[in-house]
Amino acid sequence: MSTLFNRRSLLRGALGGGAVVMGLPALDAFLDGNGMAYADGAKLPTRFGTYFWGLGLTDTAAGTRWVPSKIGADYEITPELESIRALKHKVSVLSGFRVIGDGRPNIVHWSGHASILSGVSPQVDKKFDGPSFDTTISDAVSQGSRFKALHVSANGKTVSYSTRTGASFATPETSPIELYTRLFGDGFQDPNSDNWKPDPTIMLRQSILSAVKDQRMALLAGAGAADKVKLDQYFSSIRELENQLALGLQRPEKCEACVVPTSPEDKARSTAVDVINANTKAMGKLLAMGLACNQTKVFNFVHTPGSSDTYEAGTSKTYHQITHDEPTDAKLGYQPETSKMAGMVMAAFGDFLTEMDSIKEGDGTLLDRSLIFGFSDTGYAKIHSIDNIPMLIAGGANGRHKAGQHIATKGEPVTRASLTAIQMAGVSTGEFGQGAMRTSRPISELMA
Amino acid sequence: MPVRKHKELITLRTRTLRTKTSVCLLAAAAVIGGGAGLVAHQSMAQNAAVSTRVLKVATRRMTESQYRHAIGDILGPQIVINARFEPEKREEGLLALGAQDMLVSTSGLEQYFALAQSVADQALDEKNRDKVVDCKPADATKMDQACATAFVEKYGELLFRRPLTGAEKAARLTTISTGVTATGDFYQGLKLGLASMLVAPEFLFRIEVAEPDPAARGKHRLDGFTKAQRLSYLFWDTTPDAELLAAAKSGALHTKDGLQTQIARLSTSPKLADGARAFFTDMLQLDQYDGLTKDPATYPKFSQAVADAGKEQTLKTVVDMLVTKNRDYREIFSSNDTFINRDLAAIYDVPYPSKAPWTPYTFSKETGRAGILTQVSFLSLFSHPGASSPTKRGVKLLEIFMCEPTPEPPPDVDFSKVQALEKGTVRVRLLDHMENEGCASCHERSDPPGLALEHFDSAAQLRTMENGTLIDVSAELDGQKFSGAQGLAQLLHDDSRIPACLVRNVFAYGIGRAPDETEYAYLTAQEAVFAKAGYKLPALMAQIASTDQFFRVKMPEGVSGPAKVASARTSSFQGAVR
Repeated sequence: MSTLFNRRSLLRGALGGGAVVMGLPALDAFLDGNGMAYADGAKLPTRFGTYFWGLGLTDTAAGTRWVPSKIGADYEITPELESIRALKHKVSVLSGFRVIGDGRPNIVHWSGHASILSGVSPQVDKKFDGPSFDTTISDAVSQGSRFKALHVSANGKTVSYSTRTGASFATPETSPIELYTRLFGDGFQDPNSDNWKPDPTIMLRQSILSAVKDQRMALLAGAGAADKVKLDQYFSSIRELENQLALGLQRPEKCEACVVPTSPEDKARSTAVDVINANTKAMGKLLAMGLACNQTKVFNFVHTPGSSDTYEAGTSKTYHQITHDEPTDAKLGYQPETSKMAGMVMAAFGDFLTEMDSIKEGDGTLLDRSLIFGFSDTGYAKIHSIDNIPMLIAGGANGRHKAGQHIATKGEPVTRASLTAIQMAGVSTGEFGQGAMRTSRPISELMA
Repeated sequence: MPVRKHKELITLRTRTLRTKTSVCLLAAAAVIGGGAGLVAHQSMAQNAAVSTRVLKVATRRMTESQYRHAIGDILGPQIVINARFEPEKREEGLLALGAQDMLVSTSGLEQYFALAQSVADQALDEKNRDKVVDCKPADATKMDQACATAFVEKYGELLFRRPLTGAEKAARLTTISTGVTATGDFYQGLKLGLASMLVAPEFLFRIEVAEPDPAARGKHRLDGFTKAQRLSYLFWDTTPDAELLAAAKSGALHTKDGLQTQIARLSTSPKLADGARAFFTDMLQLDQYDGLTKDPATYPKFSQAVADAGKEQTLKTVVDMLVTKNRDYREIFSSNDTFINRDLAAIYDVPYPSKAPWTPYTFSKETGRAGILTQVSFLSLFSHPGASSPTKRGVKLLEIFMCEPTPEPPPDVDFSKVQALEKGTVRVRLLDHMENEGCASCHERSDPPGLALEHFDSAAQLRTMENGTLIDVSAELDGQKFSGAQGLAQLLHDDSRIPACLVRNVFAYGIGRAPDETEYAYLTAQEAVFAKAGYKLPALMAQIASTDQFFRVKMPEGVSGPAKVASARTSSFQGAVR
């Protein structure tokens, strides 16, 4: 609200006269148990994020380009994991996990990540059969932060795999400027500012929402089941917006690592891999600062979508086409162009982690406080494999993750990795998944 | 493959759906099918309590263009709407069908909230307030209950597409009064009240309501305001105007004459162009144009300006041809009458013959172009960033214009024979697919039309060679041989599936859901009327809106409360997993 009210009229009215009585949530309650004591590193919050890239990694019968041969700690760096070399002690590599379809078809470029996120192999394309697990985490840990979760897509398209209903997916920020505006534009309060004052227009904005909220029961009456879910989600969004407004009336806690960034430049969009990688770096930097400034604790980042149409600038084929069309080089035992593209795609993941690790927080880095779950839609993309889907778990999770290990299994369900992530993010959930992918066994080797 | 007949087109669609839909959903649909005398006895007993209630039978999130039209119509075209709308989702060919799955996420609500305040701010600024507010407050520094009430009643009805309830009105008056007290400014209070209606779910969602039908005991009919909505969104892509709302309120829309009067008015108004534009943006999937990019090294002439102009060209073409000139729908394939601007002239490699930003233009036969399929929009949208794609073009042609979706490729394809693209034309590579049984069944349908369009690259530029080899544009589909875009255009022009698909799409778009089995015979009958009337779009819309099926009530799951349907869904889901 830029010009709806000027400060003077408000001070004369709302705050001066004290005539406006609007409900303020008990903010102290939000902070209980969340340890926002930033001076003491141990009490800094755990952040959780997913990082998705399309088209898996190379894993042929003749050999693999990503699975380390050494199991356990101090695994060796394989060609397609080159980008994590500097941070490998903070990254665990998970190999050999697979999707178990329970008779459902392998929906190409969909079943893999749908299973990892929702715990069940989906029945149809473009939908999940349940919510994605990041929503469970954000519901549990988001109190006290401005946003429940942030969603980012670095490829210029509105791609997100975060869903509460399975049918409707989150709306991501699709450019550095969009992400900057959401995080640090209107409504942002610098937690380290010395002359913080509550914004007097907030109370009036709250009154706009209260009229809407009053009608909830009347609106739900007589509606069908699916419509009720939809309308209820609208009211959840209203509550989140109210929390954001309420936080604006509260002096924010200081965040030692928070340095408000300057606005990025708006760049031309493209699906070329160098552009997507540059976006990933720029948006990773902004997102990391958003976490350090306590704007959110949960994020979902999409580098490239499942059937990725990224390409190397100046060439005619997309990555997706190359994965299928390129013959396996008889001498090398793999597809050289595909493997090269995989390495380029993974370079962005390395850069992303580096941005997270460059922010010092307490006695470590932001990456040490975070758990980042990196994964893809397929194993070996040429054959649309949903066996051996690469998953990389990065960050220390505030001491909960024994990072830097290679965990190798022979066909365990991917949901074990999901459950591990949920638990290390600080949610006390005992099991995850359905049918043959239902599991109550996290990967205990990774958990401190 | 033999040429499919009319009826089979629809059967094909059903079959595709059936494999995609869960068993439980079908079971539920069978129980609560509703309408056309098909309600089962059992469900009538279950729904006995429901039959006397007013029910909400559908909730769809408004589209961006519907939002823009509504604000322009209700509060004035001068209002600037600067926001990012949440993405929409296409189901069975149409965003209009995906709208029922769409939520308002937190980030979406943030946008609507900021937008509501910005719109209210603009509508009630000092320049505009006298045009927008019909009354004047006795004292502009104090609350004026009568004036505020009149304001809320007027704009509430226009925004919510029905009169406000007492409670809805009272809630806004409280907000207004709070604002006036806080700011000492009556109009600041009105801004808050208006913003609270603009961010309300009753505005952001199109809510459809059914009421007990006085003419048929135990059955429901859409209420007058819902009928007004369906008409208004189909013909004008906007919220019902005062006259439609009045016809809803008086009950006129429930009468044959009253309905015909409104249909005649809507279908002959200049605003029909807005409705047609919205419909074709959806059907032709032009929404996907936002964010389309090409590899700049390969296609240096392609730019954001070309992309924007390409979308506009197609919309201008179809609206001019089908609404302004009321021409035969099938001519969109065969006629080269269109509009271009300077950016497009460069891509099409023709001189720009005008000083105006856009000009009518007719491509000569020698250019090889033929209608809508050879415009930038179709050719570049359904291509790769650095190369054309006969498969993408073919798949989309079948899906968009013939309502024949192509299944996803099988997961276990043997790609060992497929060769790299460095030599020869793409045809050679695609022929490899034809030798593979799993691939052939789809590629032998999708690729021929695409191969016929190969004289146009990913940026829609004319070419005759690829990798130094002459491009062969001959093809065969359903036993008919043809060559190039013009041969393809003639084939499509004469194919009965083309108008049948338009009829299906107009109906589905208008009612906001996919037609079910009980409606197939109805659609076949509508196709015949459409053909007899010379394939005219405005007449088709009017004809469909005149039928009972356009207003048929289809009960959603779970309106009867915590019913058995909900638990059945869970158990069959579990069953399907096992």
